[in-house]
Amino acid sequence: MQPLEDGGPPIAESVPSLPMAASTTRLPKQRHSLAVSSSSDSHHPLAQSDISLPYRGLERRSNPSAASLFASTLTPPGSRSASPAPSVGARFASPSRTLSGSVFGGAGGFNKASLLDTGAADNPGDPLNLILKSFVPHIAVHGSPDVDDMIREKGFSGGLWELLRPFGERVQGKVTIRDSNGGARSWEDFSVRFTRFGAGIEDPEPLSGSMRTPSPATSTSNGSQGGSYFGGPQTRPSLITQVEAVVNRHLSYAEDAYMGLTRPATPTRQGLDTDAASPYYALYLRRLLSGIPLATHESFAHPVASVIAISSRNPSPIDALRKLYLETSQGERRLPVWVDGDFLRYYVLIHDEEQSDITKSMALFDQMKRNFGLHCHLLRIRSSQSAETDDDSIPLPRSDWMTPAEELADIERSESEEEEDFEDPTRYIFESDATAIRTFIREMVTQSVVPTMERNVSVWNDQVASRRRGISGRIMSLSKRWTTFGVGGSSSSRSSSTPAGGASANNNYDALGFYRPDTSEAIMRKLADYAFMLRDWKLAMSTYDLLRGDFQNDKAWKYHAAASEMAALSLLIMPQSMSSKNRLENITQMLDQAFYSYHTRCNSAYGVVRCVILAVELLRLRGGSGNIDEAVRWGTRLLESRLMGQVGDALLKERMAICYASKQGAGSQAWGSRRRKSALWSVLGAEAWISQHKYIQAQRCLNEARKMYSLLPGEQGVQNFAQASDFMAYLNDQVKEGLRVNYSRRLDMSGVGGGEEEEEDEEEDDDRTIMGGSLTQRDEFQQQQQMDDEESVETVDQTQKKSRRTSLIINTGTGGGGGMGGMETAPLTPLMPAKLPSVEDNEDYITSKDGFG
Amino acid sequence: MSYYFAIVGTQDNPLFEYEFGTSKQGGDGQPRFSEQSRHLNQLILHSSLDVVEEVQWTSGQLYMKVVDKFFNNYISCFVTAGNVKFLLLHQPTTATAASASTAGITSTTRSSTSIGANPTSPQTEEAIKSFMTEVYENYVKAIMSPFYRTNMEIKSPVFRARVAAAGRKYL
Repeated sequence: MQPLEDGGPPIAESVPSLPMAASTTRLPKQRHSLAVSSSSDSHHPLAQSDISLPYRGLERRSNPSAASLFASTLTPPGSRSASPAPSVGARFASPSRTLSGSVFGGAGGFNKASLLDTGAADNPGDPLNLILKSFVPHIAVHGSPDVDDMIREKGFSGGLWELLRPFGERVQGKVTIRDSNGGARSWEDFSVRFTRFGAGIEDPEPLSGSMRTPSPATSTSNGSQGGSYFGGPQTRPSLITQVEAVVNRHLSYAEDAYMGLTRPATPTRQGLDTDAASPYYALYLRRLLSGIPLATHESFAHPVASVIAISSRNPSPIDALRKLYLETSQGERRLPVWVDGDFLRYYVLIHDEEQSDITKSMALFDQMKRNFGLHCHLLRIRSSQSAETDDDSIPLPRSDWMTPAEELADIERSESEEEEDFEDPTRYIFESDATAIRTFIREMVTQSVVPTMERNVSVWNDQVASRRRGISGRIMSLSKRWTTFGVGGSSSSRSSSTPAGGASANNNYDALGFYRPDTSEAIMRKLADYAFMLRDWKLAMSTYDLLRGDFQNDKAWKYHAAASEMAALSLLIMPQSMSSKNRLENITQMLDQAFYSYHTRCNSAYGVVRCVILAVELLRLRGGSGNIDEAVRWGTRLLESRLMGQVGDALLKERMAICYASKQGAGSQAWGSRRRKSALWSVLGAEAWISQHKYIQAQRCLNEARKMYSLLPGEQGVQNFAQASDFMAYLNDQVKEGLRVNYSRRLDMSGVGGGEEEEEDEEEDDDRTIMGGSLTQRDEFQQQQQMDDEESVETVDQTQKKSRRTSLIINTGTGGGGGMGGMETAPLTPLMPAKLPSVEDNEDYITSKDGFG
Repeated sequence: MSYYFAIVGTQDNPLFEYEFGTSKQGGDGQPRFSEQSRHLNQLILHSSLDVVEEVQWTSGQLYMKVVDKFFNNYISCFVTAGNVKFLLLHQPTTATAASASTAGITSTTRSSTSIGANPTSPQTEEAIKSFMTEVYENYVKAIMSPFYRTNMEIKSPVFRARVAAAGRKYL
C-alpha cells in the first residue's frame, strides 16, 4: 500500500469495501461459516469466496458469473488486511538486514535465519508462500465408478478429486513434522495436492542413442494413461504458453472491465506494491507451479499416497477395493515404471447420509479395517446437491492450484457459451460435508501421510544416503565410476536394481534413459524431495548435492538440472551458516549448472523459467546487496534467453523493478539503494505493457518509475536528460491515449458518448482530483450522504486543494498524472451506468455501499 | 562499437553529452545507435549512477573501470574531485546487428583483444582510462572559466571539439 504523501489515510483502506458492496447481503453467513471452519484467517481458502466481483455490466460479457473465473486477480489488495504484509515491510526497512555484503554495512543477523522465519511465508500470494504450497505431497485419488456417480449428483463433474482438492490446499490445524534429527516443528499451513490418478504424466525424453528400443514406460503412458484424461501432455501446447494465455486472459478481462468503469483521466496513482507481488505475477507463478508434471527427473508429482474410495452404494465393497488396488499397482492404468509403485494406499468408504444405512456402513468399515489395516476412513457426506439458498450451504472455492489447461478451458467455455447457458462455476456444499471432509483430510495427513513420509525419509536416509555420505560411500562411488569391478562390489546393496538390459552398463541411467525406482539414485531423489516437502531443508540440500555429482557422472542431464535447481532453492531457504560470499558463489554455480542443463542440454523451457523465477524470488527475499544484484542478473539472463512470452516478459520486468526497489540504502542519501535502476525497469515494464495494450499495468509501472525518481536526492529523475524525459512523456501519452480510446469506444457502444468529449477534456483535471480526494475521504462522505449539493461542492473543494498539494510533491517526474484515484489493477468498483461520472455520480457510487447495508 | 559519453552533475543533471563511434580498425567515428535506443542510453546511463554511488567508496581511484552492465551496454565511470561523474556507455557493434540474446555471449567469448570487441579487456580499460584522463584535463580547464557555475551545462564548442579529438585518439 502506498500511503498518501500528505500523511492522509492510505487509499487502500477505503478501497476494499467497494467490491464487497453488492455481496454484503451474503456476508454475515460467510463470516459465520468461517468462524466454524476453525480458521479466522482471511486467507483460508474458503474466505476467498467473498472476493468476487459483485456486478459487472459489460456489454461484451455481461455475464456476472464469469467474473468469478477471474476472482483470483481481481482481489483488491486491501483485502489482505489480515495478512502480515505490514510487518514484512517493517522488516524490510530494518537496516541490519538490508545492508549485508555492501560497502554500507556488514552481514546482518537476520540473514542467518531461515527464510521461513520471516513473515513472507505467511503472506498468501507471496512467492515464498507459493513455493511452499506448490512443492507439497501429491495424493492421487482413485475412486470406483459408484463414488464418481455419487459425487456427480452433488454437482461435481470431476468426481471425488474435484470435491477434495480445495480442502487439500490447507490442512486444518497444525501439522507436526519430525525432521531427520528428531526435532519436531508444527506448521500451520501444511497442504497437500489431490490429483487424479494417472493424470499429467510427462514422458521421458527419447534418448538420442539410436540403438535403444522404446521402453515399456513410454508405450504405457502413450497409450491408455496420457490420453485418458487431458489428451496427453505431449499433444498439449507447452506449459509456459498456457500460463501466458491464462494470465493474458485475466489482464484483458481487467482491462475491459476497467474501460467501462472510469474515465481516462482517473487512472491509478498506485505504483507497484513492493511488499506483495502483483496479482498477475502471483497468478503467473501459481499457474507455473501448479502444473508440475509427473516426470522422470523429479518426484514431486509422484504420488506419495493414493486415496482409494468406494461408496456405501457399492454392492460388493471389499471386492471393489481390491480391484481398485490392483488397478493402481498393475494392469492398464498403473503408473509408468519409473514411478515407485510402493506408495501408501488409503482406503475410504464414503457413506451416503441420505440413502444408505449407517449401521451397514459401520459394519463394512469395521470389515475394511480388519482387511486393510489402519489406513482407512469413513467419510459421511450427503449425496444431494446443495444450492446457494440452502440454510447451511457454503460456497466451495475454486481451487487455487488449477492447472493452466483447466483454467483456460473454463475461461474459454465461459466465452463461447451464451450468457444464459453459462453456469456459475461456484459450487455449494453443505457445511456438514465440509466439516467431514476437513476432518478426513486432517486425519489422513497427520496420521497416515506424514508419518509414512517421515518413516520413509529416515529409512532411506539410513540405508541409502548415509552410506553414500560416509567415506566408504565415496570410495564406492569412485570405484563404480572408474572400474567395472566396482559393480560387483556395490551391487549387494542394489542387487535387484540392475536394470534388465543394463548388465554391462555400469550406471543405472544409460540403459533406459531414466532411473528405475529401485536404484539408489532414484531413492535418494525421492528422499530429497520428501525432505523438501517436509521442510527439512538441510537434509534435502545435502542429498540434492550428492545427487548432482552422480547425475553429472551419468550424464543424466535433466536429472542433473533438477537436482541443481532444488539444491540451490533449499540452500536459499535454509538458515545460513556459510559466509554470504561463499554461499552466493555456491548458489550461483548451482543455478548456472541448472540453467545450462535445462536450457542447452535438455531444451526444457519450463525448467529454466521455473528455476530462475524461484531463484530470483528467494534471492530477493534474502535481501542485501549481493543477493539483489544477483537476483536481477538472473532475471536479466532469463529475459535474454527469451523463453517466456510477452506477458511473462513484462511481468518479469516489473518484478525486476520491485527487486531493486526492495533494496534499502544507508543514510539520508540512501547510498547503495537502487532507485534509479528500479525506475529504469519500471519504464521498461511500462513500455512492454503498452506494446500489448495493457494500459492499466503500464500506468502502474509509470507511476512507480515516477515515484522512484521523486525519491532521489535531487528529486529530478531523468527529466534533465532530454530524450529519456521525452520518452517518459511519450509513454504517459500512450497510456492516456489508450485508456481514452477504449473509454470512448465504450461510450459509443452504450450510446451516450459523442458530444461530451470536449467537456471531458476540460474537466479532466478537476475530476481527477475529485476522485483522489473523495476516495480518501469516503468515510466522511458516508456520514453525509444525505447532504445537499452546495455542501458537497464545498467538500470537493477541500479535497481538491489537498490533492493538488499532494500532486506537487509527487509529480516531479514528467508532467501529467496528478493526484488520481486509488484505482487498483482491476476495477474494484461496480460498474456505473454508462454516463459520465460527474460529481453526482461519484457521490452515487460512493454512497451506494450503504444502500446495500 | 558505439559510445555515448555524458558528464553528470551532482543533481543527476547532464552537463555535457556526446555520442561517437570508434575510430579504430577503420571505424568512421560515427555512432551506430539505433534511433530507438537513444532514450534508452540515457535511462541506462542514469540508472548506473546507483552503482557508481556505491562503488565510488570502495575504490581509491578516480577511474573505476566498467561499473555496470545492462544487457549489452557497458558503463565505465570516472569520478571527478567535485563529485561530477564522467560516464561512458559503450556498446559493442555485434549487439546492434545480432539479437541481444546472442550478443552477450559472442562478444565476451570472442578472443579478439581489439578495443571494439571486448569491453572488459585490459586494453579497452586502458584506452578508456586515457580518454577519461584527457577529458578530465580539458574539463578542468573548461570549468575554470569565471562565468561557469556549479552544475551548469558546458556549452563550450572548444571543449566539445577536444572531447571529440580524445575520442578519435583513444577509442
